[in-house]
Amino acid sequence: MSEKTPVILEIKNLTKRFAGLTAVNDFSMEIHHNRIHTLIGPNGSGKTTTVNLITGVLQPNEGVVTFDGNVVTNNPPYQIARAGLGRTFQNIKLFSAMTVLENLMVGGHSKVSQSLPAFLLNIPRARREEKLLREKSYEVLEFLGLAKIKDEQVKNLPYGLQKMTELGRTLMLEPKMILLDEPAAGLIPSERSQFVETLKMIYGKGVDLFLIEHNMDVVMNISHYITVLNFGSKIAEGAPAEVVNNPEVIKAYLGERFKNPTDTVSGGAAENA
Amino acid sequence: MLHTIKQHNKVAYLILIFAIIAIVPFIINDDYFISVMNQALINGVVVLGLNFITGLTGQMNLGTGGIFALGAYVSALFNVALGLPAWVGLAGAVLMGFLIGMCLGYPSLRIRGVYLSLTTIGFTEIVRLLLNNLVGITGGTQGVQGIAPFRIFSFAVQGHRSNYYFILALLVILSWVSYRIVHSKWGRALKALRDNPDAAESLGINISSVKIMAFTLAAIYGCIGGSLYVHMTGYVNPSMFTIDLSIKYVIMLMVGGIGLVRGNIIGALIVTLLPEALRFMGDYYQLVFYIIVLLGAIFLPDGWLSIVGVLKEKIFTGNSKGKAAKT
Repeated sequence: MSEKTPVILEIKNLTKRFAGLTAVNDFSMEIHHNRIHTLIGPNGSGKTTTVNLITGVLQPNEGVVTFDGNVVTNNPPYQIARAGLGRTFQNIKLFSAMTVLENLMVGGHSKVSQSLPAFLLNIPRARREEKLLREKSYEVLEFLGLAKIKDEQVKNLPYGLQKMTELGRTLMLEPKMILLDEPAAGLIPSERSQFVETLKMIYGKGVDLFLIEHNMDVVMNISHYITVLNFGSKIAEGAPAEVVNNPEVIKAYLGERFKNPTDTVSGGAAENA
Repeated sequence: MLHTIKQHNKVAYLILIFAIIAIVPFIINDDYFISVMNQALINGVVVLGLNFITGLTGQMNLGTGGIFALGAYVSALFNVALGLPAWVGLAGAVLMGFLIGMCLGYPSLRIRGVYLSLTTIGFTEIVRLLLNNLVGITGGTQGVQGIAPFRIFSFAVQGHRSNYYFILALLVILSWVSYRIVHSKWGRALKALRDNPDAAESLGINISSVKIMAFTLAAIYGCIGGSLYVHMTGYVNPSMFTIDLSIKYVIMLMVGGIGLVRGNIIGALIVTLLPEALRFMGDYYQLVFYIIVLLGAIFLPDGWLSIVGVLKEKIFTGNSKGKAAKT
């Protein structure tokens, strides 16, 4: 949590315009290794655009994204993923026709290297790779407590378990950092706290976390550091306690009730859920 | 554990199907029937390929007629014009398939859905028109004649029965290859691309190269089918390579059920044999055939084999939703 830890993701002067609308405006931030970082901001403040710029789904008009020491601006999403940046989506994007296990095995696709011609010719190695993928998936499923439902089709699962599956699938990528776009959205309170515990477990394994989150309950519970975005620009940054007392943040996002964090955290969270 | 059992079951079905196909000529000793079966087995090869692109990846490819035609002509001309043996023709057809896969795959990166279907229809038509009009090379509407059969050492694969077992042997090998791909990380990547391309890409899968791979596999299988066809019949002309043929292959894929290797084989058999079985209806046989296909598409969208599952659910649970809720 110290300020001295190295920077894993750096965003510098990022700007994205959509036909006259500036969604992200000269936005810079640094995400340090070993520090759970959360990006908050009102709807339409440019959070999702920022995610898409970082993960390569969109290309910025200006600015540079550096991940793990390498400039990744303009790289296609699959290369950024292979560099070790995993992500989950705001509205779960699973392979719904597949089982939980198969979803995870797709997650490990790029971690086994055999090409198709080699796969056709070198059968023993193909078997080894398949076995490796399967065993690794079992490990992740065990870790997340999903082992029992591994053969279920994901479309038959409740939302909470689908989110867990998506998280497990990302873990198969062996990411250095996971970018979670609204991980708590759509979860009931009990699922939410379980999800937060799981995230802390993953963080405990040395994976950096970068969250986009609306739910202040979750934000205050897990974040070490918060950046606040409004109208595409950064309006505040700092430790959670500082940020929630920042008048500008209260005005733009949290609302007056947040002025005293001790008695308003849970109330504000319910409102934002 | 459950997984291995399921996997073994799938292989067992496939072996059973091939065993039945292998003994058919001993039961039905009719030259015409066997010649239709030969066509069905060749169609099986083509559908195995189409399964990769249209089945698993979900990209509607109506270019199979053109693919089949190019494989057929390359193999035929290698033999007739250049005097090379049929096996070299087959290798040429595979290479042709590779090239087509690249050429058809690239546009598919930018266009999707109905526009991709139109592009592939265009491809089939262009191929047919070129074959018709490049008279100097292709012989035009006259086609290419006197194509030599495959030779295994000194044995020439001639006659219906020889062709039957020769094609069956290749179909078994190609099914095995197809089965391996479908049930591997490659098969899963193709399905992932159909289900959710954004998610696939976020997991480090290069969706462009996987798409081109699917097209290439489809084209190679289709060209192999074409090559087998011309060396069986000894003659080829452009008249059969219409969009109808492309659509027939899609029907085979649908009837067999998308995604499963055994479904591809069953689909090819049903769609090739059923019209022949309906011939007693005279002028109406095509009409009846397409009505049956239409009913299948409505009531058994997962392929005709799914009737077993549908009936089972009806009998054991009383309704189709009961089981889904329980599992």
